[in-house]
Amino acid sequence: MGGATAGRPRGFSVAWRRHKEALVLIAPGALVLVLAFLFPVGHILVLGFLGEEGVSLEHYAAFFVDDYYLGVVGRTFRLAFVITACCLLVGFPLAYLAARVGPRARILLILLVILPLMTSVVIRTFGWLVVLGPGGVLSDFLQAIGLTGAPTGLLHTETGIVIAMVQVLLPFMVLTVLGVLQRQSADLEEAARTMGASFWRVLRTVTLPLSVPGIVSGSLIVFALSISSFITPTLVGGVRLPVLAGSIYQAATGSFDWNFAGVQSTLLLLTALAVIIPYASLMRRRTSWQTGAAPGAGHE
Amino acid sequence: MATLKIDNLEKRFGAVAVLRGMSLEIEDGALVSLLGPSGCGKSTLMRIVAGLESPSAGTVAIGDRNVVGMAPEKRNIALMFQSYALFPHMTVSDNVRFPLRMRNAGGRPEQTERATEALAMVQLESFADRFPGQLSGGQQQRVALARAIVSRPDVLMLDEPLSNLDARLREEMQMELIELHRRLRLTTLFVTHDQDEAMSLSDKVVLMREGRIEQEGPPDTLYDRPASAFAADFMGAANIFPATLSGSTLSLGDGALSFAVPADVAAIYCGGAAVLRQEDLVLTDVPEDWDVAVPAKIRTRVFLGGRARYRLTANGLDFLATVAKRDIAQADRGTHLAWRFDAIRFLPR
Repeated sequence: MGGATAGRPRGFSVAWRRHKEALVLIAPGALVLVLAFLFPVGHILVLGFLGEEGVSLEHYAAFFVDDYYLGVVGRTFRLAFVITACCLLVGFPLAYLAARVGPRARILLILLVILPLMTSVVIRTFGWLVVLGPGGVLSDFLQAIGLTGAPTGLLHTETGIVIAMVQVLLPFMVLTVLGVLQRQSADLEEAARTMGASFWRVLRTVTLPLSVPGIVSGSLIVFALSISSFITPTLVGGVRLPVLAGSIYQAATGSFDWNFAGVQSTLLLLTALAVIIPYASLMRRRTSWQTGAAPGAGHE
Repeated sequence: MATLKIDNLEKRFGAVAVLRGMSLEIEDGALVSLLGPSGCGKSTLMRIVAGLESPSAGTVAIGDRNVVGMAPEKRNIALMFQSYALFPHMTVSDNVRFPLRMRNAGGRPEQTERATEALAMVQLESFADRFPGQLSGGQQQRVALARAIVSRPDVLMLDEPLSNLDARLREEMQMELIELHRRLRLTTLFVTHDQDEAMSLSDKVVLMREGRIEQEGPPDTLYDRPASAFAADFMGAANIFPATLSGSTLSLGDGALSFAVPADVAAIYCGGAAVLRQEDLVLTDVPEDWDVAVPAKIRTRVFLGGRARYRLTANGLDFLATVAKRDIAQADRGTHLAWRFDAIRFLPR
């Protein structure tokens, strides 16, 4: 029996020490996550199932029998889809431009896109109130070119919400797509041009398919942020156009009905996942070439 | 297939002139290599022919069409990129079919058939359903080649096509390229910075320097009769010395080494430097057998497989000599560096 008999085997003690170090390192983060996220979210989810006496589905029943709330859910998702589509439509060309211009112009474009992020969402939304409101810049402009006779505006319309939200969320789309586009070699596009493809055809057959991963992540971020945002929709849309997040806020802080807020939160989470998970997995299949899972691979 | 005619081409990027009046004609079906150090403008020239850059002045004609100002997709050319530029999201077969698809050449079955045919020419037909990411570098290179030839372009351009391959594959691909060219007779422009590659592959070598043509001609002409010290150096001649002739005495290296030359050698002297190719020099211990022999000291010997390279000092001048394998033992015993009179070449001043 020599020096190797000092209690536990050496390999184990090394593994244990590494383990301990890792535990110590993640402990603060894990604690914050449990206390400030998992616990309150879990609590909210549970609240939805708590009635006067014990477990009950009465709050869910109240939600589903009321057309008003179904309308709120419908509006929330409709808006999120339109906002995501608009962000993609505006954001992709912008990201493409930023990826293909020189480094100096790129910095300028990126600055232009992220500059709004430097101010609070509340301030930007008040900005939109000034632009979109009756007697605002937009209204004056429409009157000046003779499109409308009286002061008008897009305040309290879904169009107004979309415009304001697209401006708020555009940076997330642009930066995500830009990241993917910059990693694409410009050789691919030039090669496609020499092979007889016009600019638009190159965009359709080469650039866009290769950008799918960025488009997917960008859309998911924008979509998730849209369905859960409530400051901009509430301020621009007003009380007549409530969205789910605003309605949750209203239930919790207006009528102090925490159980009902829990129901709406649970439904928001579930419906969001119901959209996001299939979308992500569908897109992952479409980009299978990245992982090297080729159809028909293996015969040589 | 068509002739390619480049006339007085100039290209400036801001204040930097990359091409300064290049004129070049490539016959229908010829294989011409553009040789030069990096930054000499050879890649820019190729990009202009492809339509990816526009020239500052001059014309480019493919066949009898001036193509300056024409979009790249309207020119019937193919350019194989150094990076291969294979589309990672398409199968090998779809990659090769791409030029046919974009040019609406026949229906899909016909396109696939022609793609398979092109893949067969590079021995990759069994890889048709793979994705580029699943192939080795050499295989990717051959897919890129198949894609470049599939549409039988008027002009085929290859940008440093062999530079990313290891030595063994490179030699194999050189053979394949030559055979492919013999078979298809496509007008081919080949860009390289490797003189061995240029000489082994092409009908004509165009040596470029700082946006101009330094010398052009068949490979053996450039090799045997370089027109300048730059050309001699670039074509791999290591022994270039300033030379003066007085009467029948030739002096190399400002008088470091002088010897008498016969009248026919004196007659070709043209005022500039003298060039002695490495493989024309021998190391011998019987100096009497040679026209010129100088006592020399071997400083380094590098064994290169089929041959060995020696660095020597003779009369204070540095020489490089390359010796075939069977002569190495004899060379190692050598006391003198020697050569024949007909090994001496001269450069104009």
